[in-house]
Amino acid sequence: MFKNLLKPILFFIPLAVVQLTLVPMISIGSIAPNLIFVLITFFTLKNGQAFGTLLGFIIGFFLDLISGGLIGAFMFSFTLSAFIAGYFYNENKIEFNTASFFFLIIIFICGSISAFVFAMISNSNSDVNLFFLIFEEGLFPGLYTAFFGLPMIIFAPKKRMI
Amino acid sequence: MLNFLRRLAADYKEYILLIVLSVISLTLLSKSEKPQAKHLQTFALGNFAVLSEITNSITSIFKKDISLDELTKENAKLMLEVNRMRKLRSENEELRAMISFRDTSKYPLIPAKVISKLVTKIQGNFIINKGSSDEIKKGMPVLSEKGLIGLIMDVAENYSVVRTLNNSNLNIAVTLQRTNVNGILNYDGRNLVIKDIPTTYDVQVGDRVETSDFSSLFPPSIPVGIVKKKESNVLGLLHNITVTTFANISGANNLFILKVVPSKQINDLEMNLLKQN
Repeated sequence: MFKNLLKPILFFIPLAVVQLTLVPMISIGSIAPNLIFVLITFFTLKNGQAFGTLLGFIIGFFLDLISGGLIGAFMFSFTLSAFIAGYFYNENKIEFNTASFFFLIIIFICGSISAFVFAMISNSNSDVNLFFLIFEEGLFPGLYTAFFGLPMIIFAPKKRMI
Repeated sequence: MLNFLRRLAADYKEYILLIVLSVISLTLLSKSEKPQAKHLQTFALGNFAVLSEITNSITSIFKKDISLDELTKENAKLMLEVNRMRKLRSENEELRAMISFRDTSKYPLIPAKVISKLVTKIQGNFIINKGSSDEIKKGMPVLSEKGLIGLIMDVAENYSVVRTLNNSNLNIAVTLQRTNVNGILNYDGRNLVIKDIPTTYDVQVGDRVETSDFSSLFPPSIPVGIVKKKESNVLGLLHNITVTTFANISGANNLFILKVVPSKQINDLEMNLLKQN
């Protein structure tokens, strides 16, 4: 398992650079996609729930360190949402889960949960209402993140279906 | 018993893993403001920011002309000067005697560039390309050419983390320039709001908002924004005032750090939330 973790962690480095430098340019009113979470979901669906949970934890820790935010916020939200993404893991349906539109639905569900949990635990303002957190901090970023799963299903199948 | 435990661990390993990792994450979250955690973070972001800066320098080709930096810096100085003059004009003779206030326009400005941003609705953070080697210290105010942007929260050797006004964890003491009404400005995820201002106080839409003399974080008279609207609560006794910032915080790329030397007296007070541990 630990050997398999190396590959997504290596992918994480360039993706984190993109997340912190280029993604802010395409954010819509402070709603931004989380490319790192697409990576975590992809590897969770390929390797299983336990693997995904551990990967979410490690990558969340690294992202917390380099983003300047609260240490533990991404860690917890990625751990939890990768665990939930792990429920969609099926070793007989790996191709289907990662190369069909079902992949986008999984990213949307788990990405929304991840964004919502992150907002919940990193927010110290008690006046922020739950409706706001669910929609603007949960569902909208989840939807935007799911959009960035499209390249995975457009380009990946051709290679694998041969 | 051992076999039972082994079987339990095998059957529920995902759940056990989730619980263990969640506990570790939440423990770290509760200790994220501890100096050890901050050291680790500044070390990590100091190294990683090199990559971000390279990427940023490539993408900045498509952004603003770098030769405008000097003009922008001059503009920021003038903005502070104009604001100070406006305030002086509106004050009476008694207040003029207090001109020995700290004068924000005399503080040196250090230009900096944003190299990465954490985009969330609630946690606005920037990483900028100036750090302790440029004499940046935790707690220094960060401005754009139009007004206040935020505050330096962590400093690595060549990079710093800026907590912006669009961060629900930042509360700042502000005052309305025209009437000297004081309040606490906080981000509620949508707007910057000054809460619980009595309705008897004179507040009008369009009033200029600036940092207060009472602020333990910022020097006084740094322009923040203008009053956009005021809403009274159910009983009609208190107002919530929504403020629009002068500076475009989400779109900021070129910033200035106001090189304020922290006051030892303020720093020694318990009320200073940014007191070095």
